[in-house]
Amino acid sequence: MTEQKDTDVKQVASTPSEKRAHEPMSVSRRSLFIGVGSTAALLGLGALRYVGHTPVNRPPGGQDEAALVSACIRCERCYEACPRKIIVPATIEDGLLGMRSPQLDFSANYCDFCREENGGVPLCTQVCPTNALQLPADAVLGNPETGERGNVIIGIAKIDEYSCLAFRDTGCRACYDACKYDAIRLEGTDTNPRVYVEADKCNGCGACESVCKSLSAGSIVSGATHRAIIVEPVEAE
Amino acid sequence: MKTKNLRTAIAVGIFVVLAAGLIFGVSFGTLSGFGWDDFSVLCPLGALGTMIATKTMIPRAVVSLVAMILFFVVLGRAFCAWACPVGVFDRIRAFFRSPKKRKEIEQAKHDEMLAISRQELEARGVAVKNAEHADAQCTHSCKTCGGCQPFKHGKLDSRHAVLGGALLSTAIFGFPVFCLVCPVGLTFATVLVVWRLFSAGDMTWSVILIPAFLIVELVLLRKWCTRFCPLAGLMNLFSRFSKTWVPTIDDSKCLETAKESACGRCAMACEADINIRHPEFGERTMADCTRCRACIDACPTKAISMPFLVRAGHKVTLADAEQDVLEGIQGAERRAEAAFSPLDKAGE
Repeated sequence: MTEQKDTDVKQVASTPSEKRAHEPMSVSRRSLFIGVGSTAALLGLGALRYVGHTPVNRPPGGQDEAALVSACIRCERCYEACPRKIIVPATIEDGLLGMRSPQLDFSANYCDFCREENGGVPLCTQVCPTNALQLPADAVLGNPETGERGNVIIGIAKIDEYSCLAFRDTGCRACYDACKYDAIRLEGTDTNPRVYVEADKCNGCGACESVCKSLSAGSIVSGATHRAIIVEPVEAE
Repeated sequence: MKTKNLRTAIAVGIFVVLAAGLIFGVSFGTLSGFGWDDFSVLCPLGALGTMIATKTMIPRAVVSLVAMILFFVVLGRAFCAWACPVGVFDRIRAFFRSPKKRKEIEQAKHDEMLAISRQELEARGVAVKNAEHADAQCTHSCKTCGGCQPFKHGKLDSRHAVLGGALLSTAIFGFPVFCLVCPVGLTFATVLVVWRLFSAGDMTWSVILIPAFLIVELVLLRKWCTRFCPLAGLMNLFSRFSKTWVPTIDDSKCLETAKESACGRCAMACEADINIRHPEFGERTMADCTRCRACIDACPTKAISMPFLVRAGHKVTLADAEQDVLEGIQGAERRAEAAFSPLDKAGE
């Protein structure tokens, strides 16, 4: 039965002109399917804009979150440009929209706005080809040498008094020693002072977070997932 | 075969250098934004997307876009064959196929292209001479295949629809949407997240999800480059005007025109789904030529070359050549004479 069908087809379409006559509908239908399907998928992805993502600490010039999301093409140049290797891709846990966009990781180092490495011009903003990282015209950057805070605020440091070693009478004052902007205040004159953040002096450079020992040195707090002092994005406040 | 290895080596080399730069912080950028210091060349789709999303003219994006368009006009989709990591993935995939499967795929393409050649020769009233291929027949019924039927080549294809969808979504939602799922970007992102997993112990689902995205796109969406890639679609809009280094068949050498024997090896070899001998039977047209040189390497009579400029009056579409075949022997004689004319040699 099938064989006969096959020969029928062959006979019908034996002359190439007849073969040409019936257009391969499957091709145009496939194109339509791909076109419609892809457009729908891409519009769906676009709608992620309304879902948003968890705020993260952006490199200098990335404080206008909407502008950064609009312009960033995930080219990864800022990661390479950062002399301190603190710019890392945001992860899926922070939301699909922000995935692979630049965020700051203060676990090993902090941002000095390239004061030491590039005379105070952040290399990340300098290389960004799409102006996703772009300092506002009136930007004044923090200067760790003079202690000037500037008006580019990456985030504000926040202390978790529950896991902070200073609050456990250990005498730890690593963050106080690291801060270049006098944004950490010691309270109590005895040998075990408490530490507090002066929010109006902090620009979120991350020096305190980069030296915090709460997770590595003798912390008695179980279940702590992050350091006792962390920089939180301003939007999260 | 030689060029294929060279191409793989170059694409892998570019990837390794850029990936090493990413890991060790040497600022070369990636293929999405290549450059150093203030200098950068942006992915044209990224440049377009970021400008549409921010509704501003970004100088570096405009310069990149113009430079890329010039590149596409001169070298077509050469990026796809010589630099894009997606092509390397395809070759890796082919490498890991079982010999049986690989042979099956090759055989199917071989049979199909040969059948097209035979059909086209017969259509022109030429009795196919070569006994070597006399037994070659499609193993499947013509009804199910559709391969031996000409494609309808519109000005736009499915990739342009993907491109349009990407730009539309970018305009509506105000961010470069396609960048989230671009396979080139995801490839470099994979390098970065895997490196961070081992160097910084950065455990994140991205390590699994980013490569998973990549696999979904390249494995489940068959023929990504030919049917889906919006970047290829964008290139196609400009590469269709390319007149430089376009593979051209010397009809006095081609088995099908000179010896009237079905061959089709150029079409079997083409990685961009073009049938250079019978363009109307390829899924894509010469506009999508990636200058990969596979057809040149495959041609048994070395009839295909890539002249710097396509000769005026000798268009890449082989319509005139096929017209000659229609005219039969006279045409062949004329071509044989033409082969000895100095004009022809100058063209090469």
